[in-house]
This record gives sequence, structure tokens and C-alpha cells, in this order.
Amino acid sequence: MFHLLSLIFRYLFIFVIYLFIFAIIRLIYLDIKGMTQVKEARPYLKLINRKEQLPFKVKEVYTIEKTVTIGRKKENDIIINDPYISNQHVKIISDEGSFFVEDIDSANGTYLNGDRIIDVVELKSGDRIRLGQIEFLFIEE
Amino acid sequence: MLRKLLSYKTPQNLILLIDIMALCLLYFYKESFDEFILISGIFLTFIIYISNFILLRTSSGDHYIFLIMTMLISIGIIMIYRINPFYGFRQITWFGVGITTFFLFYAVIKKIKKWEDWTKTYMILSFILFLSTLVFGVKIKGATNWIKVGNIGFQPAELIKIIFIFFLASYYSKKEKIMNTYGLIGIVYTYIGFLFIQRDLGTAMIFYFIFMTIFYIFENNRKLIYYNIIGAFFIALVSYFVVNHVQIRVVTWLDPWKYIDNKGYQITQSLFAIASGGFFGTGIGLGYPEFIPEVHNDFIFSAICEEMGIFGGIGVIMLFLILVYRGFKIALYQQNLFFKIVAIGMTTLLGLQAFIIIGGVIKMIPLTGVTLPFVSYGGSSLISSFAALGILQVASEEMDPSQEEDNG
Repeated sequence: MFHLLSLIFRYLFIFVIYLFIFAIIRLIYLDIKGMTQVKEARPYLKLINRKEQLPFKVKEVYTIEKTVTIGRKKENDIIINDPYISNQHVKIISDEGSFFVEDIDSANGTYLNGDRIIDVVELKSGDRIRLGQIEFLFIEE
Repeated sequence: MLRKLLSYKTPQNLILLIDIMALCLLYFYKESFDEFILISGIFLTFIIYISNFILLRTSSGDHYIFLIMTMLISIGIIMIYRINPFYGFRQITWFGVGITTFFLFYAVIKKIKKWEDWTKTYMILSFILFLSTLVFGVKIKGATNWIKVGNIGFQPAELIKIIFIFFLASYYSKKEKIMNTYGLIGIVYTYIGFLFIQRDLGTAMIFYFIFMTIFYIFENNRKLIYYNIIGAFFIALVSYFVVNHVQIRVVTWLDPWKYIDNKGYQITQSLFAIASGGFFGTGIGLGYPEFIPEVHNDFIFSAICEEMGIFGGIGVIMLFLILVYRGFKIALYQQNLFFKIVAIGMTTLLGLQAFIIIGGVIKMIPLTGVTLPFVSYGGSSLISSFAALGILQVASEEMDPSQEEDNG
């Protein structure tokens, strides 16, 4: 009985092990695929500063899907712990495929290509947005 | 039901399935069936399923490494139980302890900040452990690397591996170094020297490779790396001529058939076992892996190859490959430099250990006695592998920004 069972089970074991490996690789593949898709499709902010020189945590790339706010407080969509950035600093508004940047009464202001933003300004691909110590490049494909 | 169980979309179910299959099979194994195996088998399946579930809920990091580990553990326990039911039960107990260690390390490493500040503590702790091994060490199988307290023996080297990685990580993640690179190299070679005195060559090799990996990635003085590689060749050559132990390993590696009746017995039996397995193996319980000395421990891979076939063996290697791949991925994504280095260290530790022993038993490289992580029998090694995995799990998560701020 055991003999027969073992002979059958050896194929089953190998089958299940490979199925498992396949499952894991598939999940990892979906993970990677999902990530690259997001990067391709959506406009994003790219950090211009060298990350190592900044004394706080900031990502290299932030994708913008909908309207986002940037600031130091936890309620913001993008939290950057720069002391020169206000609690709620700037808002990037998504409206029917166009993107606008609006300063939300920040203490040190936001600069678009070197000029301080007073009202809402539409963003073009390649615009530089500076707030606090950091500078982002806005890229829309 | 079966369809859901077999679905590749939920790998946890596949592990559950393999455990149930093994339980059915072992039920008929050796006629004399006792209820104990049923209880412990169900217990094992239960822990695996629950801990996977808990991890999915609590950790925001990587979920694959834990899954891969549970698969390896399942294969290991089936094999060990088949070789020796007593060891099988012990292994299940160790697995329970290991899971606890995993979550303990996960919680503690995550909770306590400032791991990178304790370079000196790591150094002193390792030295104390090495010295105590030398003083209280018990000689088992040619290596003096065990400390026995009553009935329980443990290998300090397994713990030192982890402390060593923390030491290297804290050294390279700090801007103000506590010593220069030569000091660091001096300390590393002292460690390796200690391991040589204990005749624990496999562990010495692991230490050296972990050091070289981290050194190669993070050292600015590139020339020193080449000097180190040359130095290592030199040490290897000298130890071949001076240490008898090393010489035996190399000679049996080059031609084990000449020494088949004594020195080369183990490795030739291992080769016979792998060869007799064929593609699909003899089937669990139908081979003769017990002809190999130490089969439940270092030579578990040969037993897997014999009874589950070369496909089973390749499966195990592939599981390790994915584990290492995930480990490097974690290291690449980690922003915190300390945990980046720790993740690289832990991945190299697990991957290299697997490479060294699998390469050893198939006679690709000279055999050195280390355990196959998660698969081999053994408390110390299992627990240290679990600890390494727990730390890797922490490293796979995004670090708290506040901690990052303190670094600057």
C-alpha cells in the first residue's frame, strides 16, 4: 500500500512544488509589471537634488494620480519633513488631464522655474518646482 | 474545493496541500503508526497557515520570503521525518521555536531604533562568544563549535553570524567611523582566525564571503578589495598545506573514489544517492538515504535528490534562487543605509550557505559542513536562519521617516 502510494505521490509532490514556484514567480512578475505601468502612464515629480545630501526622507519619484498636497503634516499625500516646508505647502491639482500647481499660503513660498507662484499656474512637462530645500521636475508624457 | 486548493493564485494553499499529502503518505509509513504524528502534523500545518496569515496582516513589507521559507521547511520536515521519525518530531518543535524567534526578531528589530549606533557592542559581544566557545566548547564531529549547557547544545557561531552582519552594517552606515578600514579588516580576520582554531571551515568561508560582499559594495578604497582577494588565496593555500582538515576535504573533492572506504565514504554515498534518484526519484520512503552518514543534517539535499528526484532537487535550488532574488530586491528598495546593508548581509548569508552545502554534496566545490538553511535538521541553524529572515522582513518595510531624520 505504502509502496504504491509513494510511487504516485512522488509525481504529485514535484508537481505541487513546481506549481508553487510558478505561483510565486507569477506574483512577483505581477508586482513588477504593476510598478512599471504606473510609472509609464502617470505624470510624476522627479527629485532633482541628490537624495544623499538631504537630511530627511524623500523619494526619488512621486507619481501624481489625482490632486495631491505636499507638506510636513501627516494629512498630506506627500509628506516631506523639511523644516523649510510648511505644514501644508503646495497643492497639485489634476483637472481633466491638465495639472495645476497652487501654493497654499506657505511660509517660504513655492517657485516655478525660479519665479514665486502667486496664483494657480498650469504645469508643463519639464517645469521645475522648488519648495523648501528641494526641487522637483514635473514630467508628463 | 480541490480546485481552490490547487489554484496557483494562492500559494499558501499549495503549502497546505503538500503538508496534507505528506501527512497521508506518512500515515502509511512504517506500519506502526502512532497518533502523535497526526497531531504534530496537523499542528505544523496549522502554524504555517496561521503565521502566513498573521504576517500578511501585520507586515507591510515582502510576503514572498516567508512563503518560500515555509515551503522549504515543509520539504525538510517530510524528509527528516522519513529518515528518522524522532528527529522529525524534534524538527517540528524547533520549527515552532523558530517561528516564535522570527516574530520576536521582527518585533524587536522594528521596535528598537538606533541599531546602527552599537558598532562596539557588536564587536565585544562577538569576541565574548568566540572566547567562550574556545573555553567551554565541546568537540563534535571534528569541530569545536558547540557549547553544552546541560542537555542542550548550541552553536555560538550561528548567533555570531547575525551579530557580524550588524557589525559590518553599522560600520558602513556611519559617517564617522570608529576605526579605519585596516582596523575593520583586522577584526574580520581575527574572527576567521577564531573559526579556524575551532576547525569550523564552512562558517569561516561564510564569514569571509559575507565580508567580501559588503566590502565590495560599500568600500571606497577599491585597491584594498583586490589585496583582500589575493590575501584570501594566500590563506587558502597555506591552510591547505598546514591544516590537515583542509587537505582531506580537498583531496576527497578531487578524487573521492580513491578513498571510498574511509575519507571519501560520505561524499561517494551522496553521489550514489543522487544518481539512484533519477528524474522523479525513488519515491519517499523507498530509497536508502540512510546509507549516507549525517544525512538528516548536512546531506539532506542528497536525500531529497534520491527520493524526490533531480526535479525535486532543482525545485529546492529554485526556491533558494527566488529567496535570494527577493532579498536583493529588498536591499535595493530600502532607503535606510543600515538596513540596506543588513538586507544584503542576510541574503548573502542564506544564499551562500545553501550554495556551499549544495555545491559540497554534489561535489562541485570541496565539502564543508554547513547546514542547508530551513531544510536541514538542527536547532541552532534553524533558529538563526529564522532570525535572519525576521530581520530581512523588517528590512523589506519602509522605514519610519522620523528615524531617518535622526540619522542626519
